[in-house]
Amino acid sequence: MKVLTPRELPELFAALETPGAHMLAGGTDLLVRLRAAEREGRALPQALVRLDGVAVLRGIVREADGSLRLGAAATHAELLAHPLLRQELPELAAALCELGSPPIRNMGTLGGNICTASPAGDSLPPLMALGAEVELASLAGTRRMALSDFITGPGRTSLKPGEVLTAVIAPPARNFQVRHFEKVGRRGALAVAVVSLAALVRLERGRVAEARLAWGSVGPTVWRCPEAEAALMGQRLTLTALGRVGAIVRENVRPIDDIRASADYRRQVAGNLLLRLAVL
Amino acid sequence: MPRLSPPRADALSKATGAERYAFDVLPEGCLHAGAYRPGAALGVAHGRVRGVDASAALAVPGVLRVLTAADVPGPNLHGIMHKDQPVLCGEVIRHAGDPVALLLAETPEALRAGLAAMRADIEPLPGVFDPEAALKRGAPLVHQGRKDGNLLLRAVIEKGKAKAALKAAAVVVRGEFSTPVQEHAFLETQCGVAQMLPDGILHMTLSTQSPFRDRFEIGGALGLDPFKIRIRAPHLGGGFGGKDGATVQCLLGLAALNTGGKPVRMAWDREESILAGFKRHAVRLRCALGAEADGTLTVFDCRMLFDTGAYAHLGGEVMELSMEHASGPYRVPHVRVEGRCVYTNNPIAGAFRGFGVAQASPAFEGLMDELAAKLGLDPLALRRKNALTRGDENCSGVRLTGSTDLCACLDAVAGHPFWTGREDWRKSAPPFTRRGVGLAAVFNGMGYGRGLPDMAIAKVELTEAGEFLVYNAVADMGQGNASAFALLAAQELNQEAASVGLVMPDTERCHPSGSSSAGRSTYTFGNALVRACAALRHKLISRAAMPFLCDTLDGLELEPGRVVHRPTGRAMPLSVLARFLPHDDRICVAEFLMPVAQDISGSARGFMIGFPHLLFAYAAHLARIELDELTGRVRVCDYVCATDGGRVLTRQGFDQQAQGGAAQGIGFALFEDFRLDQGRTLTSDLTRYLIPTALDVPDTVSLAVDGCEDSGPHGLKGVGEVGLNGPAPAIASALRHCAGLRLRQLPFTPERLLKALSKARPAKARRSA
Repeated sequence: MKVLTPRELPELFAALETPGAHMLAGGTDLLVRLRAAEREGRALPQALVRLDGVAVLRGIVREADGSLRLGAAATHAELLAHPLLRQELPELAAALCELGSPPIRNMGTLGGNICTASPAGDSLPPLMALGAEVELASLAGTRRMALSDFITGPGRTSLKPGEVLTAVIAPPARNFQVRHFEKVGRRGALAVAVVSLAALVRLERGRVAEARLAWGSVGPTVWRCPEAEAALMGQRLTLTALGRVGAIVRENVRPIDDIRASADYRRQVAGNLLLRLAVL
Repeated sequence: MPRLSPPRADALSKATGAERYAFDVLPEGCLHAGAYRPGAALGVAHGRVRGVDASAALAVPGVLRVLTAADVPGPNLHGIMHKDQPVLCGEVIRHAGDPVALLLAETPEALRAGLAAMRADIEPLPGVFDPEAALKRGAPLVHQGRKDGNLLLRAVIEKGKAKAALKAAAVVVRGEFSTPVQEHAFLETQCGVAQMLPDGILHMTLSTQSPFRDRFEIGGALGLDPFKIRIRAPHLGGGFGGKDGATVQCLLGLAALNTGGKPVRMAWDREESILAGFKRHAVRLRCALGAEADGTLTVFDCRMLFDTGAYAHLGGEVMELSMEHASGPYRVPHVRVEGRCVYTNNPIAGAFRGFGVAQASPAFEGLMDELAAKLGLDPLALRRKNALTRGDENCSGVRLTGSTDLCACLDAVAGHPFWTGREDWRKSAPPFTRRGVGLAAVFNGMGYGRGLPDMAIAKVELTEAGEFLVYNAVADMGQGNASAFALLAAQELNQEAASVGLVMPDTERCHPSGSSSAGRSTYTFGNALVRACAALRHKLISRAAMPFLCDTLDGLELEPGRVVHRPTGRAMPLSVLARFLPHDDRICVAEFLMPVAQDISGSARGFMIGFPHLLFAYAAHLARIELDELTGRVRVCDYVCATDGGRVLTRQGFDQQAQGGAAQGIGFALFEDFRLDQGRTLTSDLTRYLIPTALDVPDTVSLAVDGCEDSGPHGLKGVGEVGLNGPAPAIASALRHCAGLRLRQLPFTPERLLKALSKARPAKARRSA
């Protein structure tokens, strides 16, 4: 297997033309899958194209409109070490803090977490709640789309052959007073989320003027619940109100059973987690 | 004087990565062997082997041979007590990890490609996956031709009149409990290297807890002379019982017979380790505990059902120890315990730290908490009142003549601020959180028990260079017994511990001394070693008398590096003394046989060997926890172990055993949820089978009680296992304290806890107090 290490975008695009080439971001998912493929006698890619050498794919930059542009090949640890992330995107920082373990965060990248498109991807609920967009580039040019459109199913994205996810753009969210992320895993580290919730709530005179709620691990992709968001409008964040909305969540959510938890548990907890937003 | 508590002898080499484990051994030109286990991929746990197709595998470049049952020269059966496990299955696979072929390849890559290209035709047979179903008439038989069908062993302990006592008891509490399969999950998976040398000796370096017994396992299965097998056991990267018995041994021996004299390595990857390795037995228990109105225990009655999986391995022996500990470390005059151990088509169960006792402790301690609640007694006082002390008769009718300091353990935790402050802790719970403190009293027998001599033979040598060398014959799987041996020898020989060298177990250079198991390693071998060292010390002083021209031994002493004659102040370096002595004279050998119970007033039926035990380690544990009402997650915030291990040789070694046992026990209690479906393992790797991480285990406070076991080397007892038995009952006790939950099915997963919470009381937020 060949391993290519381009330094610039044009080199990267050229490398991706190699027959049987596969992109390698942090490798924390891909290498595990390649090992399993080898064990089961399935075909391996002929070449791996590393993204970590392409400088423009890393770092955080503030855009003119106040958005933050996060390099797709930036590692989770790099993002966490950046002061802008913790100041401006606390829900994403909270998610990345619990992603994997220190070695995984040193290797894994934000773009990798997105393109793996797991319903349990830890960065996805906060990015969805933030209304993040992705930037995609290829020899044909650059395009932008909402992250919610980019991920089309479990393990599926709108990425075209020869195209690279170059950046994630998170719009400013300073007017949301409540910014929350919680991951429920089966242990404190190296755990796949059983349920997670990212919540952004904007209050006006103590009442909800806008609510964005995004759950991980309760459906094939990150799940939003417009019924719950609508039901929160005009409410104060009391236990009673949140309990009522939690019931709406439990009615609408369609989780599955798997090795980590039952559908019933996920349904119950998906509703329960809203109670953490209560102003006690 | 030598320092009393030097660092472990293996600390530096392990911390720097210099220590060479069996996994690291890779001789020049080494071939690679791997087992083909078709059941998992085919989804078959019980099936008839109709054919094995190796043609595609043999076409892979670098694949040299594919061996099947027909190539096994001997009886093709192994097993510690019952020879019922084939090295390679020729007719039937009895669990999803059974091997039907062994591949030899030039490289690991070729081996993997070869294994992926193997095909087998397996006709599925009806399987049996539940131990109760396995006992029903007409259940599919795991082994044909057995008089008792799927029942491996039934045994009974009877003391007094349990039935009548239950009727007469002022109060009786009952419960059904279950504990799951547990995976050892050692860092170093099962592995080894073997080579047949031209002199006809099969040389093996193995990650094994039982090098001496391995020779007979391999020899018996393959029809080889066990004395023409030499086994070396370097430091293990973990064992916990899972490397007691044949893992790679027989397969690797078979491989070495077919390489034309080349060395061959076998190392299981994690998936194979989980698929084919031995596990902790899953157990169901149905118990009743009776007492007088003042809390004095009168009767304990229990039925246990053990799932041993496809092969006997140590199933009967694990069950025996579980039965012996079933009623807890308490005085109970009337006891009846009945155990049944059953074959199924599940993975093979075997030895695991806390050997059967970890399965019994949640039941006896759960019922003690239930009894305390029913009688309105303080749970610690109830335990203290009934705790076994020296001179008592235990539930098997054994008079406890050895050190029995459970009361001191209970007193140590009774005065601990976590216990005295438990109501403050409960009241200080933040919103959506419950806080509780739980207690457990536990014990664990030491040694093999009656009928199987628990013996060790130690050899110590003064080298020609004047240094001391201990021939350690009991494998060190990380518990630190090798370091303890160096220290015991240094103390006995009055030398610096760092100056005592260690030979690691080697069947050619060391004497047979049993397995590294049963809390016996340091106790039994240590006793033999202290005797050997005392003999060597006396010998060296005597030999020095001649060159010193002394006509008595008075005033002659062994000092670090020399012998001195006190009256004259003359000294002779050991390097000089050594040259006076022929090689044979610089060696002392001594043995020790662990004492066993003499008079057993109770009656027991069905046991073959290994029952009962005379010596026990004791402990009292405290767990301080938080339970999240919204998710059912438990956080163990603080943990305290007070352990009676007799006299402490080194605090570091003692504390590490307590802390390691607690961590593994916390995993057993909360995280480790081994899942099977029709005999297939769903938790097939470490992303699905979750052991606790550093974030899930608190700093554990280890307290030592001041004790002394007179029969132990320098007063010590083995403490390797007792620590694992505490966390499950202590955490269950804390869950009862914080939320009134009565949990009897392990592990206590968030899912089970949330369900139990919703039944107990609907989740509601409380403002912090």
